[in-house]
Amino acid sequence: MTLLEVDGVQTYYGESHILEGVSLEVDEGEVVALVGRNGVGKTTTLRTIMQLTPPREGSVSYRGEELVGLRTHEVADRGVGWIPEDRRIFSQLTVEENVRVAVPDGEDVDATVEFAFETFSELDSHRGRDAGTLSGGQQQMLAIARGLVGENDLLLVDEPSEGLAPQIVADVAQALADAATETTLLLVEQNLPLALDLADRFYVLDNGRVVDDGDASEVSADDERLRRYLSA
Amino acid sequence: MTPVDPAAVDLTLGVLQSGTSFLDGLGQFLRLDTLVSVFVEGLAKSAIYVMIAGGLTLIFGLMGVLNFAHGTLTMLGAYVAGVVMVLVVGSATGQIGRVLAFFGALAVVFLLVGGFGSVVEVGLIRKLYDRPPIAQILLTFGVALVLEEAARIVVLFYGLQPTSEWQEALGTKPALLATRHTIGPLSIRGLALFEIAMGVVTVAGIWAFLTRTRYGLFIRAGSEDAEMAEALGIDVRRVFTVVFALGAGIAGIAGAVLMWDQIWGANVPLAAETLLPAFVVVIIGGLGTFRGTVVGALIVGMVDAVTTWWFINVVTWTWLPDVAVFLILVGMLILKPQGLYGVEEVGGH
Repeated sequence: MTLLEVDGVQTYYGESHILEGVSLEVDEGEVVALVGRNGVGKTTTLRTIMQLTPPREGSVSYRGEELVGLRTHEVADRGVGWIPEDRRIFSQLTVEENVRVAVPDGEDVDATVEFAFETFSELDSHRGRDAGTLSGGQQQMLAIARGLVGENDLLLVDEPSEGLAPQIVADVAQALADAATETTLLLVEQNLPLALDLADRFYVLDNGRVVDDGDASEVSADDERLRRYLSA
Repeated sequence: MTPVDPAAVDLTLGVLQSGTSFLDGLGQFLRLDTLVSVFVEGLAKSAIYVMIAGGLTLIFGLMGVLNFAHGTLTMLGAYVAGVVMVLVVGSATGQIGRVLAFFGALAVVFLLVGGFGSVVEVGLIRKLYDRPPIAQILLTFGVALVLEEAARIVVLFYGLQPTSEWQEALGTKPALLATRHTIGPLSIRGLALFEIAMGVVTVAGIWAFLTRTRYGLFIRAGSEDAEMAEALGIDVRRVFTVVFALGAGIAGIAGAVLMWDQIWGANVPLAAETLLPAFVVVIIGGLGTFRGTVVGALIVGMVDAVTTWWFINVVTWTWLPDVAVFLILVGMLILKPQGLYGVEEVGGH
């Protein structure tokens, strides 16, 4: 079943035309990677889905419902979560408050928070610390935990491995693989081996357009098919 | 050259009150009962300043909006509380009845002024969030001018205030607060103790709301990163409306407390008279930090109380308290422009 359908979106920053008719689909339970060079519109695609940067033309539908025209919190209320590329944890809140703030209304907040710290046990001993004092890897784990407690059916994950040491990247990859058992992921990732390892399918974005797509199992990170779009 | 008769020289240099020497004044000031009295007065002034500035710092810290209509909201609070008290309290109303009526008036003020604040935020300020800060400053300044003139017209029309003081409203104060109380060697104003209590309750209330409630958590998250908070499902636009209403309501409560204080009272100039110290307090404490505002209010209140004592008892400089406070402000702006606890950037958008 198609969970998310992006159809011909045209997105601008001011007069800069960033997405020039991007279309893609994500089925329920899938992990879909969105790859491409820096500045081709990957982050903007996620922002467009969240309605943080609404498109001027085109459609974004989630479970058959049009998202264009909704406000971002209304998109989030429908079960779409966003883990941005620079994590954007609330540095002046404690680690626990960062998790607590993401629990949707109507859920048992305390129980959900406890479950999150059981799942991300490496954060448990830092609960009372200001989140801004965590290391980059811990902040990424916190961002993923925050995305998961939101009870989202679709998580948009932007560059989760950016700026992290290789060992930490492996931990983050494992956390995402675990997350993928519970939710659908649309993953933007520069680290191609990581992206292809996690993903079922991929889309390649270039200059604001989708230029290739396919099953992740069909390609490897050093295929010419991908490298021509990814090398600088 | 005419010889000068040493006995004819004014040894006070025109600065000290006649018959007073600096050393006499210092000796009197350092007496324990004087120090405690000045400390209590300082706490009362601090309580007033924290109530005046609390809403201002909340709105600026969480929304990045410099609300120049803040003093006007305090003035509205003073008038609304005055009207309620004058209507409800009669000469036969007892002391407890008057205190209960005051808390009823506080609720009315909080709802009316807070509600008015939310209307201003939704109707006017919300449209300017994406504009440079000067647009919000000019807008709120304009709102202040319009409201002050409207208040002036209403006051004149109804003959509410034949003199600068609204005696009828001041007269609704229970005798317990209108008199001084002797505790051992100390003589303390009843109203000063009441103002301290109100300041403590206001600070504790704001702190508890921000740190102990889920909505307070939303507010703190939204003020740090509005976009991320929105992406987590928080309606940040509504959060900002609540914050503005809360800040306005606190300004109104400050006005209600000042309505009973002879030094301030419910009058139109109260708007400007409270806006200035509010800005001094938040600049000293650090723009936008609530902890800074509490500390800033304590500093300004204590300096004000000490210098006021010296002005009343020793020196002839009427402007000593104002100069002392503004010297601290100038020193802070030179040495630590962001204030004691300030950060360089505030506001969630």
